[in-house]
Amino acid sequence: MDRGKYAKYVMLGPAVVVTLAASLYPMYFALVTSFRDWRLSRSLVPQDFVGFDNYVRAFQDERFLNSFIVTIKYIVISVSMSIVLGLLMALLLQRKNWLNTITKTLMILPFAVSPALRGFSWKFMLNPQYGAFDKIVDTVFPFMADINWLADPLWALIMLAITEVWGWSPLVALMFIGGLGTINPEITEAASLDGANEWQVFWRITLPLLSPIILLVTLLRIIFSLKIFDQIVTMTGGGPGDATQALNYFVYLNGFKFFDFGYASALGYLLLILMLIAAFFYVRSLLGGNES
Amino acid sequence: MIKTPMQRIFAVLRVIGVLFILYFVTFPIFWMALTAFKNNRDAYSTKIFFEPTLNNFRILFDGNPYDFAPLIMNSVIVSVTTVLIGVPLAVMAAYAFSRYKFRGQNLLLVLVLSAQFLPATVVLLPYFIQFRNFGLLDTRTGLIIMHLTISIPFAIWLVKGFIDSLPEEIEQAALVDGCTEFQTLRYVTLPLIMPGVIVATVFTFVGSWNEFLFAFIMTTSNRARPMMVGLLALNEIDGIPWEKLSAASMIIMIPMFILALTIRKYFVAGLTMGAVK
Repeated sequence: MDRGKYAKYVMLGPAVVVTLAASLYPMYFALVTSFRDWRLSRSLVPQDFVGFDNYVRAFQDERFLNSFIVTIKYIVISVSMSIVLGLLMALLLQRKNWLNTITKTLMILPFAVSPALRGFSWKFMLNPQYGAFDKIVDTVFPFMADINWLADPLWALIMLAITEVWGWSPLVALMFIGGLGTINPEITEAASLDGANEWQVFWRITLPLLSPIILLVTLLRIIFSLKIFDQIVTMTGGGPGDATQALNYFVYLNGFKFFDFGYASALGYLLLILMLIAAFFYVRSLLGGNES
Repeated sequence: MIKTPMQRIFAVLRVIGVLFILYFVTFPIFWMALTAFKNNRDAYSTKIFFEPTLNNFRILFDGNPYDFAPLIMNSVIVSVTTVLIGVPLAVMAAYAFSRYKFRGQNLLLVLVLSAQFLPATVVLLPYFIQFRNFGLLDTRTGLIIMHLTISIPFAIWLVKGFIDSLPEEIEQAALVDGCTEFQTLRYVTLPLIMPGVIVATVFTFVGSWNEFLFAFIMTTSNRARPMMVGLLALNEIDGIPWEKLSAASMIIMIPMFILALTIRKYFVAGLTMGAVK
């Protein structure tokens, strides 16, 4: 064996081991478990294979269907808010001046706040008695004074999304600013000279040119929204009722609260399928960007 | 250039818009920072002026009933070890993926990429069961293993992007001159991809430090529990003591802010694995 070959395997070996450990092994294990009856309350070791029973059970389980709908609603709210807000921020911050530079620097801070902490911080600010956000809203919009944010099913979901939008929309904006920078100013200038107003330039030129990045960011946001978990624990606990019990949290409840490993694995696989669909499109637009 | 009144109005509106962004981005952080220095009574008011106190920070460490010192220790040990093991492995793997051709390469790359999209709850279950068998539940070693499984695939992908953008000729010259592959990586490639390695290091560290779900389920005592999960213990009869939680949050957040700011130029590129620069 020559030296080059030897080095290649040494360098790759650990990576292969870790990758297999990080993806292939858990995927295989969860798949096998999802076809089994394995309730820790009854037995420490896995019981019989039960075919697709766990999957069938999921589609008959109203709580699963609820968590699926919650997840979809959550994705729609959270992704659309962060894209729209991100775009708005990008347009405002596009020009180079000292105020914008400071703002753009501070904009990465929310992302460095862990999701669990974002949940805590917003829970504190939303408290109807002493929360700062609640106080501000009450002052600016007196008609909203009676809202108890985390006790209302829809508001709780929106606020859960806000914690994520707070962390993400500044980064989305920074990505868009990068994209705006690549648009040749001659194109927009030419349009202005031809009599297009700013509004028309935005809708007809800027937005279409930005669409590849918007697509990429949307897919990235969908992937992360599917994973929503930490804030549910620290902010809503899945409530009120089961109004914020997103899929990832529902898998956790079945696996680590009810210790129903078989069922939890099947649920996890259903989540995994959703994730892989989103990931497929993400990777395609990530790698195929130049081809299309 | 002479500005029309309309342009002036727009300029002012734009500045107001930017100030609003600044407010939206910083207010939650500012509010927690403020609350961290309030006494118990002031924390439950929206006062901006109050008599500041360091009491909340002291209480977190006096062992009665809170003792965050071992939790900080756990966080530091887990994050540092994850970086020290994860980053070098990822750099070597990224180099191999970028520079060599071998059978099954594409399949492996897809697996590396897909590891990042696995829902954590799916990954957790097999590890929870295995860790129970091997006695790794509630140990720092167990937590480090979990954190390596999430950070290495991401770091490989990130560093690979940096190596791919280097021309191969640079390394070939070194190899012809008699360097071994490892020396080439160490003395030729590594210095050139240092920004990428630093970004990978920061992302790995921050990711491990802020990680919640794995630590939440895998740790049951102060033996291995990191700061992040320790916050859940801040729960008293009359609810969450926000002034203490805010103080603890400051201890968690400030090092992460410093790290994030050191790589601010690469933050966006790092997050999208180089797709958007």
